[in-house]
Amino acid sequence: MKKRIALIFGYNDYALEIAKNIVDSYNKIYIYSLHSEQDVVKNSSEFEIRSFDLSDKWDDINEFVDIEHSIAFCVLEDNAENIFLTISLRSSFPDLNIIALSNNKETASKLQMAGANRVIPLVQTTAEMIAEMMEKPIVKEVFHKILFESSTLKIAQIRINGTNSYIGKEIIELDWDKKYGVIALSIMYENMRNEFIYSSIIKHYRVKEGDSFIIVGYETDIKEFEKIVGSECD
Amino acid sequence: MDFFSHLVVDLAYFLNTSDGYQQKKQFFYNILENNRYQYKKYFDLFMMSLIFLSVAILIAEVKNDVHYFIKFFNIYIISIIFFIEYLLRFWTSSNVSEIIISCSEHDTMLGRRFNLSRAVIKILKVKSKFILSIRSIIDLLAILPFFHELRLLRLFVLFRVFKLFRYTTSFQVFASVLSTKKFEFLILLMFTSIVVFVSSVLVYVMEANNPDSPINTLFDALYWSIVTISTVGYGDVTAVTVEGRTVAIFVIIAGVSVLAFTTSIVVSAFTEKLDEIREIKTVDDIRKLKHFYLICGYEGVAQEVAAKLKNQKVKIIVLDESEHRIANAKKDGIVALNYDPGNIESYKKIGVDLNTQVKAVLCLRESDVENVYTTLTVRSISEKVNMISLLMDESNRKKLEFAGVNEILYPKGLVGMISKELIGRPVAFEVIHALRNDYYGVSVEEILVDSRIHENAIYLNELNSVSFKIVLLGIYKKDKKRFFFNPLENTLLESGDYLLVIGNSAFIKEFEKYLHKKIRT
Repeated sequence: MKKRIALIFGYNDYALEIAKNIVDSYNKIYIYSLHSEQDVVKNSSEFEIRSFDLSDKWDDINEFVDIEHSIAFCVLEDNAENIFLTISLRSSFPDLNIIALSNNKETASKLQMAGANRVIPLVQTTAEMIAEMMEKPIVKEVFHKILFESSTLKIAQIRINGTNSYIGKEIIELDWDKKYGVIALSIMYENMRNEFIYSSIIKHYRVKEGDSFIIVGYETDIKEFEKIVGSECD
Repeated sequence: MDFFSHLVVDLAYFLNTSDGYQQKKQFFYNILENNRYQYKKYFDLFMMSLIFLSVAILIAEVKNDVHYFIKFFNIYIISIIFFIEYLLRFWTSSNVSEIIISCSEHDTMLGRRFNLSRAVIKILKVKSKFILSIRSIIDLLAILPFFHELRLLRLFVLFRVFKLFRYTTSFQVFASVLSTKKFEFLILLMFTSIVVFVSSVLVYVMEANNPDSPINTLFDALYWSIVTISTVGYGDVTAVTVEGRTVAIFVIIAGVSVLAFTTSIVVSAFTEKLDEIREIKTVDDIRKLKHFYLICGYEGVAQEVAAKLKNQKVKIIVLDESEHRIANAKKDGIVALNYDPGNIESYKKIGVDLNTQVKAVLCLRESDVENVYTTLTVRSISEKVNMISLLMDESNRKKLEFAGVNEILYPKGLVGMISKELIGRPVAFEVIHALRNDYYGVSVEEILVDSRIHENAIYLNELNSVSFKIVLLGIYKKDKKRFFFNPLENTLLESGDYLLVIGNSAFIKEFEKYLHKKIRT
């Protein structure tokens, strides 16, 4: 039976950190080592290590992985190899969700061109956190708690369902902060385009079924809001 | 005598431990000599104005009768001010009480009676060193116009112009650059002197007995030679004989060579010292900064951090031992110094106060070894300064903490956390990422509730954020050190609180201005 699996390509600290953080979300995690069989033998982590080659055809993966519900992380330290790996995976698995690590802006755009669904801009994200620590320490603390820590303040994506009373209302009329205690940050249209609700061009946009909102609020408020307005989505 | 020696030592100890005396001395030292002292520039400007005024009066006096008060001002007031300045420099140039104390302690240690005369000789040596320095001599000569009855001494007003060297660093830099080529200038001077001497004698011998020649004395010959070799060639004194003109040809050729040689020496001196001059200027500018971030290292993350802080108009200084990386930083328009951040000498050279001037030191080398080393170096100078460091290997976290880093950022750990977000709430992550980066002109900002804002608004609903199309995400209560998300409208505002607002960057700025302008009715 095919399983929901996380495939992490590259045996390094990044791979282990990713594996530790997502272990609860997948049936199985495989870390693929590029360079040698030695990593497989030396492996002291709790995760299964397999070896691979950039010229692989990935036939074995197709056999046991539920591609549509699985995920691949490309975290090879060599940028060129990482891009090659991404394009290689994309050409073999059009439906696979690929997240790739990039160390600079140039690599990030190439990874996206190579077919990565999402790119982690490592240097940029680290830098923005440091800059925030310096100039906006409270913003940094709040966002860090919302995103990475198990605080009661959460961020969620809520899809507007068909029976919703807000359908047809203008963005400017939304009063969720007062009524439900949640603050909407942005809207994602059905075509996946994302826009901040503070943008003056969308203040008269009328909410449609299928639109998603990114909201911030306390966990209980979000749950309440979800019941009334729509459903939480991934 | 013994009693007198004791009295002198007691007085020395008294002066050395007297806060009032030391503070006054330090104040005068700062205003006279310390380029980093904020008020020195005003003193320098005042003294320079006096110099120019003095010279202007001298020029005016040549063909006009100047008012008695102006004369009095020039001769007495300015001279007295210069004299006081001279005495203050004399006083602050060395610490007499310390010399006496050290001599007394030295004698006590050796078990002999304190020898006052030895201390006096030491003091005289130190003070005479000051008196005989070129700058002090110029200062003294600048006071001489005070004795204006000796008419010649009035010309010593011009020595006041030389005092400008004291007050303008660019003159000092110019002199120091030229002084690096002393040897070359000496050779040039010798060559020129020989040519001038030989040609003067030759032309005198050739021309002096010719009735048509204007060169009749050795002084005429010397004057002609100097005018010719300098390539000025006034033409008032010229050689008329064939022999004299032959000498002139050689002197002209030598003159061109001397001029070319002089130009090349000056140019090469400046070319060689250009980087140093720039560095001096940069360090000087850094010392004047009130608050800035010190970034140690200029690799990937550091480059991004520097770019972000620069965009926020925050002052940053980069230190890196690699010339290549410093060149990159300069290319990116960042103030950077090719100093090793792990070397204590680097901080001495920069001469900034880490406790008051530096907002934070960011150790952003992609090596834990370098970051630990830099942290320890900085901590040995300042225990207070906020330090943030990158961590490349989790196993080194404790070492960085032990070294004294206040906050650590572990990019690899961050990758793990981001991955978790990306598989769970990918759009949410991107929204926050976009907010942080001010994409689409929307950003999140902190607004400090200062006394002015607090005067204008006591409760949250008085802020009127809605009319600025701004969303108040929450309020950070300073006293409780807690963030309150989506607070109630009747939440009490207190001075020191922070408002977290999201909206169009331009609107946020307008909102902040409004909060400060608004007058509570």
